[in-house]
Amino acid sequence: MTQGAVEQSFRFGNTELPPEASEATRKAKRLAWLTIAFLVTAVTLVYLVMGSSQAMKAAWAEDLLSFIPPIAFLVAMRVTGRVPSEQHPYGYHRSVGIGHLVAATALLTMGAFLVFDSVSGLVAGEHPPVGLIVVLGWEVWSGWLMIAVLAYTCVPAVLLGRAKMPLAETLHDRVLHADADMNKADWMTAVGGIVGVLGIGVGLWWADSAAALFISASILRDGLTNLRVAVTALMDARATTVDGSAPHPLDDRIDEVLRGLPWVREAGSRVRDEGHVFHVESFVVARDGMPTPEQLQEAWTVVTDLDWKVEDLVVVPVDELPEELLPGLRGR
Amino acid sequence: MTTTRRRPAHAALPLVVLILAACGVTVPTDPDGTLDTVRGGELRAGVSPHEPWTQIGPDGAPTGLEVDLVEAFARTLDAEVVWTDGGEEELVADMERGDLDLVVGGFSASTPWTSKAAVTVAYVTVTDPDGKPEGHVMLTPMGENAFLVELERFLLEQEVEAP
Repeated sequence: MTQGAVEQSFRFGNTELPPEASEATRKAKRLAWLTIAFLVTAVTLVYLVMGSSQAMKAAWAEDLLSFIPPIAFLVAMRVTGRVPSEQHPYGYHRSVGIGHLVAATALLTMGAFLVFDSVSGLVAGEHPPVGLIVVLGWEVWSGWLMIAVLAYTCVPAVLLGRAKMPLAETLHDRVLHADADMNKADWMTAVGGIVGVLGIGVGLWWADSAAALFISASILRDGLTNLRVAVTALMDARATTVDGSAPHPLDDRIDEVLRGLPWVREAGSRVRDEGHVFHVESFVVARDGMPTPEQLQEAWTVVTDLDWKVEDLVVVPVDELPEELLPGLRGR
Repeated sequence: MTTTRRRPAHAALPLVVLILAACGVTVPTDPDGTLDTVRGGELRAGVSPHEPWTQIGPDGAPTGLEVDLVEAFARTLDAEVVWTDGGEEELVADMERGDLDLVVGGFSASTPWTSKAAVTVAYVTVTDPDGKPEGHVMLTPMGENAFLVELERFLLEQEVEAP
C-alpha cells in the first residue's frame, strides 16, 4: 500500500503503464483539477446573476452536475491504483465503471427534473422578471450580466473538453470520456442560455423556458447515453471502444496473434472490460496434442505484449474450442 | 468540429445586439406592453394599508411614503395614478390578471409573493425588529421587464428616508 502511493500515476493495480499512458494519467489528473477550479468560478458567477431565469437555473444545475465526473474520475484513479489483494483478486478496476454509473445516474435524474420544470414553466405561461442590478455603482439590466457570465462559462469548458478527449481514449477511461463529452457540449448550454435571456430582453417570455428545455434535454440525453454504456460495461459486455460505439479492436487482434503462432491450430478469446484494463481468457487448440509449458508461456507473452490494457490473461489449452464459453463460435 | 461551430456563435452575439438596436427594439421589452400603455395614460396602482409605509385615509384616499413615490414615478411617465385598495392577496391576484400595473403595501425583499409578482430593487433599507437589515420593495407584473426596469431606475434615483 505504501508503494502504491508513490507509484500511483504509473500503475493501474498490477498493470505497469507505458510512458505514454503515464503521461496521459498525469495530464488528465491536472485537467480534472483545473475543471473543478473553473467550475467553482462558473457556479459562483451564474448563481450571483441567475435571478429568476429558468434558462440560467438550468445552466447552473448543469454546472453543478459537471462537478461529478471530474470528482468521480479522481476518486476512481486513486482506487484503481491499488494492487489486487486477497479480498479483491481482480483488482479495483471496476471503480471506473461505478464512477461512470454514478455520474450517468446523476445526469439522468437532473435532466429529467429540469425537463419537467421547464415544460411546466411553458405550460403555466410563466413570465420571468429580469430587472436592474447595481454593479459598482452602475445600473445594468441583469440580462446583460447573465449573458456575459454565460459567455465566460462556455469557452474554458470547450477547451478542457477538447484536451481531455484524446487522454480518455489513451487511458480507455469512460468517466473521463463522459466528462470531456459534457464539457464539449457545454457551449450549447451557454449559447442556449444566451438566446433565452436575449429572448426575455426582446419581450418573448417563452424564450427563457424554451431555452431551458433545450438545455435540459441535452442533459437528459447525456445521462441516457452514459447510463447505457456504463450498464453495458458493468454487465461484462464484450469490450468496446471508450465511447461504446464499436467492438474494441484488441478483441480480434488477440485471436489473430494467437492463431499466428506456429503450434496453434485454433484460438478464441473472451475479453471483458474491467475499467481501464481488460481481463482476457484465451482458449487455444494445439496442432498436435497438448501444448508444452513453454508454448503456453509464449502465447501469454505475445498477447500481453500487444497492449498494456491486457491484464490478467488466462491461457487455457483445450482439445476443441468450447462453444458454450465462446458464443461467437456458433455463428461460424 | 467544435472549433468550426463555436466561432459563429461568438461572432453572432454582438451582431444580434446590433440588429436589435438598429430595429429600435429596447432591451428589455414588455411582452404585454405595460410601460407603453402607462406612459401618457393611466398607472393602475394597488395599495394595501401597511403603516407607516401606506395608509388609507378616512376619505378613502391613500397616503404615505410609498404612495408619494408612486405618484412621483407616474409624473415622470406623464401618467395619472388610479388607486385601488384592498388586501395583498386580492391585489396580487388582480395584477396577475393584468388589471393592475403595480402594488405597494410595505413589502420587504423577503416577501412571499415572489412567485406571483416581480419584485423591484430595494429603494430603502431599514432594520427589522430582529436587528437585521431589510430592504423595502414594490411589486410589478411578472415579466413586464421594461416597466420593472423603468421603475427600478426611478427608485434608485430617490433618496428615501425610512419613516
